[in-house]
Amino acid sequence: MKLLIIIPAYNEEDSIVRVISSVNVWREDADIVVVNDGSTDRTGERAEATGKAAVIHMPLNVGIGGAMQTGYRYAARGGYDVAVQLDGDGQHEAQELDKLLAPLLAGEADCCIGSRFLHKTDYRSSWSRRLGIRFFSWMVHWMTGAKATDPTSGFRAVNRKVIELFAADYPEDYPEVEAIVLLRQRGFRLAETSVRMHERQSGESSITPLKSMYYMAKVSLAVLMTRLRGEGGAL
Amino acid sequence: MNIYLLSALFCLVFLFATVELIRRRKLQEQYALLWLLLGFVMAGFSLFPQLLERISRAVHIVYAPSLLFLIGLLCSLVLILHLTIVISRLHRRVTRLIQELALMQERERRGGRA
Repeated sequence: MKLLIIIPAYNEEDSIVRVISSVNVWREDADIVVVNDGSTDRTGERAEATGKAAVIHMPLNVGIGGAMQTGYRYAARGGYDVAVQLDGDGQHEAQELDKLLAPLLAGEADCCIGSRFLHKTDYRSSWSRRLGIRFFSWMVHWMTGAKATDPTSGFRAVNRKVIELFAADYPEDYPEVEAIVLLRQRGFRLAETSVRMHERQSGESSITPLKSMYYMAKVSLAVLMTRLRGEGGAL
Repeated sequence: MNIYLLSALFCLVFLFATVELIRRRKLQEQYALLWLLLGFVMAGFSLFPQLLERISRAVHIVYAPSLLFLIGLLCSLVLILHLTIVISRLHRRVTRLIQELALMQERERRGGRA
C-alpha cells in the first residue's frame, strides 16, 4: 500500500519540524508532503531541511481548501492508495495514524475521520466551539443521515477513490464539514475513530468572533448547497 | 430640456462609450452584451416616451419616468449578479492555476535534485 501523509501548513515554523519527525517515527513507510500555503515565515525552509518530506510551495496563499486539494492532486498523480491529512500545527497525533487507517485497510470505509468526541478524551475547548461543532454534527446528520461526532476535524484518512474525487472537487475555505456531505452525496462510506488531539501548540488560531459568524453562515450554506446539488454537481 | 431628452442623450453617450471600450479591447464582448442591452432599452424608452407612458399606465405607474428608474435599477442588479458570477469563475480558475504551478515547481525541484 502506498501511503501519503498530507500536511497543510501556513506559518507553522515552530511546529512543522516536530510534526514531520513524529509522522516519520510512527509511519516510516509513509511518504510525507507538506503543502506550504504561502507562509510568510520559515515554514517552507524548515520542512525542506528535514529531508523527510516533499514540500509544495504555494506561490500565493490559497486557503486551507485550496492547499489541501493541492495535496490530493499530488496524491492522485503519485498513484497513492491512501492519503491522510494531518495539520501542521501539531494538534493531531501521528501516534493515532494506525487507528485512523484501520477502517480503510479493512475495506470497511472510504474515509475515516479522527474524532475528539466519539469517546471521552482529555480534549478541552471553549463552549462556543463545542456548540458550533454540535450544530454541524446535527446538520450533517439531518442532511445526509451520517453520524459525525466531530465534523470539523481535519484529521482524516481517505482511500484512492476519494483521493480522485477530492483532486477534482474539494471545497474552498473551511472545507471539512462540506467535504463530509460531498462524500455522502457520492455514496462513499464514512467511519469515525476516537483520537486524542491537542490544543494548537504554537502559532495563532484563525478564529475571531466575526470570523466564526462568517464560518457558521458560509459552511451552513455550503452544506445545504452540496446537498441540493445531489449526485451531480461536479465543476 | 426634459428628462426624456436628457436620458436619451445620456444613453447615446453611454452606448458610444461602451462600443469604444470594446473597440479598444478594454471590455470583452461577452461582458459587454448586457451593457449594450441596457443602453439600447433605456435609449429606446427615452426616445419614444409614448411607449414608456403606455407601459406605465398598464402597470399603474403614475409618473412614467420612474419606470425608467425601475428598469435601470433592475438591469443594474442583473449586471452586478453577472459580475459576481464572473468573479467566482475567475476565482476558481486562479486557484487551479496556483495549484498546478506549485505542483509543477515541486516536480521540477525534485527532478533537478535527482
